[in-house]
Amino acid sequence: MVDAKKIGVAGAAIVLVTLVAVFATSYMSDFETPRTSNTGEETQAIQLKGAPVLGSKTAPLTIVEVGDYQCHMCKLWFKETRPLIIENYVETGKANLVFIDMPFLGRDSTPASEATYCANDQGKYWEYHSTLFEYQQEIDDGWANASRLQAIALNLGLDMEQFDKCMITDDHRAQVNANMQMAKKQFGANSTPTFVIVSPTGEAQKIIGAHPYSTFVSVLDPML
Amino acid sequence: MNNTLGIIYSNPSYILILIGIFFLLFIPLIIISEFLFVEPFLVFSIYPETTLSFSLIVLLSLFSAFAVSMNIYRIKLIKETKKIGSSIIGTVIGASAGACSCGPIAFSVIATFGTAGSIASSFLTAYEIPIRLTSIGILILVIFVTTKSLSRECKVKL
Repeated sequence: MVDAKKIGVAGAAIVLVTLVAVFATSYMSDFETPRTSNTGEETQAIQLKGAPVLGSKTAPLTIVEVGDYQCHMCKLWFKETRPLIIENYVETGKANLVFIDMPFLGRDSTPASEATYCANDQGKYWEYHSTLFEYQQEIDDGWANASRLQAIALNLGLDMEQFDKCMITDDHRAQVNANMQMAKKQFGANSTPTFVIVSPTGEAQKIIGAHPYSTFVSVLDPML
Repeated sequence: MNNTLGIIYSNPSYILILIGIFFLLFIPLIIISEFLFVEPFLVFSIYPETTLSFSLIVLLSLFSAFAVSMNIYRIKLIKETKKIGSSIIGTVIGASAGACSCGPIAFSVIATFGTAGSIASSFLTAYEIPIRLTSIGILILVIFVTTKSLSRECKVKL
């Protein structure tokens, strides 16, 4: 008879090896294309696909954030790094900020993204975007269910009839799906947050993860 | 307990094993948990609200290193693998917690397993702290039992 403890040890070892393998393959794929160059197609595509821009549309740099409203690292970046970037780069006209949805973490991620576009119809995209991150809780624990999304819209003073109609009819599902595809195919994102900084010459620099402000300074300043 | 630890780590090989296992766990865990970034620059970053999570990673790596190295000593001494399983299980549980988060591991898991992957990933993210505390508890227990057992067996051998 096979010793149960030996089976336990073998099982644990297999899990450990699997974890290491998944970790290695996931992260190695990230390092394959940390820097990309293009001909400015990314900036063009962002504008064409209707993603709202925070800051001057003529700013020399565009910071594209690929994120999920249920991602807690995105929230951390939103709270710790984003305010400094807004203050020193967006408000000074050096850069603008675009958010590209990659809702993959849970069932409430996609409706949350759609809700931001419904708010955008009434000119409150960034207010809704910020409110979602401020009130973010655990993945799919109900903080971004239909009634909470409505409550956020109500608090922001949106026309509820228009907002509800927009949500029910999935007006912006195609936009969110297009963003998801753009995030994966164009920006090669496989985690959130992922950032792509696009310069006027079309040079792009990818930053993976909720990096501190110092990383952004080191990347943005030489590109200006 | 001090005497047992003194005996084990008086041998430099076990200090090397201890340090090796510590860094083998610590470095991947702080990369997964986004405390250490290697691209585009090598950056270490810790925010006030992630201090607890970082401390638990340090403790988990440290206790895992102690538990595994002590058990390697034990195996060499009495050729018995009884407790190393528990220390590996404790390590795996602790390492799994928070490893998914919103990183590429979660993306791979969710892309591969769909809704089940999403549920598992969100569970590991939501209960990161309690899971890590549990695994640290398991490792402390393993260290305690191993120390007791070593001092008893050493006495018998003497």
